[in-house]
Amino acid sequence: MTLKRRELLSFTGAAAAGGTLGFARRARAADPIKVGFTTALTGPFNEFGEGYKRGIEIAIEKINKAGGVLGRPIEIGVMLDDQLIPDRSVQNMRRILDDKSIVGLFCPSGSGPTLAVIDMIAADGRPTMNPQAQTPTVIYPNGPGGKPRPNVYTFSIQNDIEANFMAALLAKKFTRIGLLNESTGYGKTGSELIKAGIAAANKDAVVTNESYNQKDQDMTAQLVRVQRARSEALMVVGLGADMAVIRKNMTRMNMTIPFFTSAGGLSPPYVEGAGDLAAGTKGSQFKKISTVPPAPETKEFLDAYKAKYGADRLWGTDPEVPTPSMGGTVATGYDGMLVMADAFRRAGTTDAAAVIKAMDATKGFPGCNCTYEFTPEKHHAIKIGDLTTYEFVKKDGRMTLVPTAI
Amino acid sequence: MEDFLTLLLAGVSVGAVYGLIAIGLNLTFWTTRTMNFGQGSVMMLCAMLTANLIARGWMQGLAILAALAVIVVLMVFTEMYTVRPALKIEGSMGWAVSTLGVGIILQGCAALWFGSQAVAFPDVIFSAVDDVVIFGVHVSLQYIAVVVLALALVVVFELLVRGTVWGRAMRAVAMDQDFAAVIGIPVRAIVLGSYIASGLLAGISGILVAQIGGTVDPAFGFDLVIFGFVAAVLGGMGSTPGALAGGIVAGVLQQMVGGYISSAAQHGMAFALLILILVVRPQGLFGQREINKV
Repeated sequence: MTLKRRELLSFTGAAAAGGTLGFARRARAADPIKVGFTTALTGPFNEFGEGYKRGIEIAIEKINKAGGVLGRPIEIGVMLDDQLIPDRSVQNMRRILDDKSIVGLFCPSGSGPTLAVIDMIAADGRPTMNPQAQTPTVIYPNGPGGKPRPNVYTFSIQNDIEANFMAALLAKKFTRIGLLNESTGYGKTGSELIKAGIAAANKDAVVTNESYNQKDQDMTAQLVRVQRARSEALMVVGLGADMAVIRKNMTRMNMTIPFFTSAGGLSPPYVEGAGDLAAGTKGSQFKKISTVPPAPETKEFLDAYKAKYGADRLWGTDPEVPTPSMGGTVATGYDGMLVMADAFRRAGTTDAAAVIKAMDATKGFPGCNCTYEFTPEKHHAIKIGDLTTYEFVKKDGRMTLVPTAI
Repeated sequence: MEDFLTLLLAGVSVGAVYGLIAIGLNLTFWTTRTMNFGQGSVMMLCAMLTANLIARGWMQGLAILAALAVIVVLMVFTEMYTVRPALKIEGSMGWAVSTLGVGIILQGCAALWFGSQAVAFPDVIFSAVDDVVIFGVHVSLQYIAVVVLALALVVVFELLVRGTVWGRAMRAVAMDQDFAAVIGIPVRAIVLGSYIASGLLAGISGILVAQIGGTVDPAFGFDLVIFGFVAAVLGGMGSTPGALAGGIVAGVLQQMVGGYISSAAQHGMAFALLILILVVRPQGLFGQREINKV
């Protein structure tokens, strides 16, 4: 049998095309699944950005060690630094969204930068994990209880959850409460929700609410107003370095009322700045991450972290038990990456619509901070029961957070 | 009354620091009609160096002296390589950009060397728990120390300017650089000295503020220089007692507005004051109206 010239050409062409397609298919199968994010990798709040980056990296190492997802490894496609400055977050996120090879996103650290980019993300539609921003409108644009943005899921302690937790505890014990908040989205919404929570829990409660700017070096005026209102306790919604300024200021004014902070304040910068004055400060934080003995999934994460970074600043002062703030700085990134990878696996694709459908069906996924469950109506996972109260205590010459009652 | 005294003392203390910064700005304004817009970074660098050296086990006094020595070198560089070349061009405002540029570079260097996180600043002389009771009010010794030190620096500075040959030379340079040069005053050395003294005042201010706040980070100092500038204008550009008075007025007013009207309004107060003084008395509280004959 002889082949005519035209037949030979078409056979050769088909073979070549088939080969190319086969090669392309193989290449695509081996192509990594890329995720991208902008966060505070440097700057005064870089414990958050650096922390969640480490969490994502540890999760990716675990996933890839087990063969990846859908037969493909996961990698960080784009990682940009915004220093927690909203304008930079917007520029960075624009760059990330322009890269169509990125199939999964993470929100920036902090509510300000996240609120600045969240509408772009929602319009884009790619599945997005929010590791740290606490303002509820990040997820629920019309407030808690409303409809969530379809493609955004939060792994942080949402402000309303923390506020309800703290408000119930404070209202039970005090009737005159001073409330101080940083003038950011996180601070404002946090204090508004706490105020509403206290009013709901105790109608006779009197709340004096004051605000300050991040990095203010003197808070005398705010504290005088709290003192003049004869407040029996002070609750601050803010971050660690500012918390140290407030604690020192209170000491100078001989203000000895009980001092409470939001989760953002129970962090290494607070202890470093306030030193021994931090003793007695109470606040809410993640429960599971510091539970002794740790759950198997938490232990796996903690072992991996310690092997890579040791018991460092983000781990805390106790080399055996991590500080609970590690739940917010590192573990939310880790959990977010694992849950997203699980959604890729269940969806069988990285197509956004299918992944979102899979994310909405997440049920009983064991993470470091809680067991994750999302539905089309509920895009936050941390519940009141996942938090507990801690107090700074000086133990063996070290300032350590220990579980306590308010 | 207790609230009033607490606010007053905090205002005087914070205001005294604004005053020191203002005097630093005044110094270079006298001699060259320029201001170091990187002054905030000088404050930051001095405080960060001090904190880091103390953390490495250096004695506090030695750490402060070493940090101030670095500031001296830095100010020599700033004057020689960023201000002097810009002043060669008549009417140029290049010095504003170049000094600001040095400040931004310093911020970046500090972030690179010490990290961008807030560094804990140790208690110098007194801690936050040290206080005395005056009329039933707990008065922080940290605040008192800041006020006393600031006042002492102003007194020493005034004595040096009014009672020494170098002080008189500086005033001569401030009045007329060309004429001062003709009569043999080393103008370049005086200008360089004014930058060094300005840097030292900024460095000391940085240490004073950092020990009150308890932390210092690379972005530290920027807001304080703005308040220092307000104090300088309020007191009258070029007036040392005016700078201190302007700082204290700004500091006390901030605290009183924050304590009695609204804490949210306290930061805007300094700028409202700046606008008011520029409209009502542009030469400032202690300044003299400048009359140019044409």
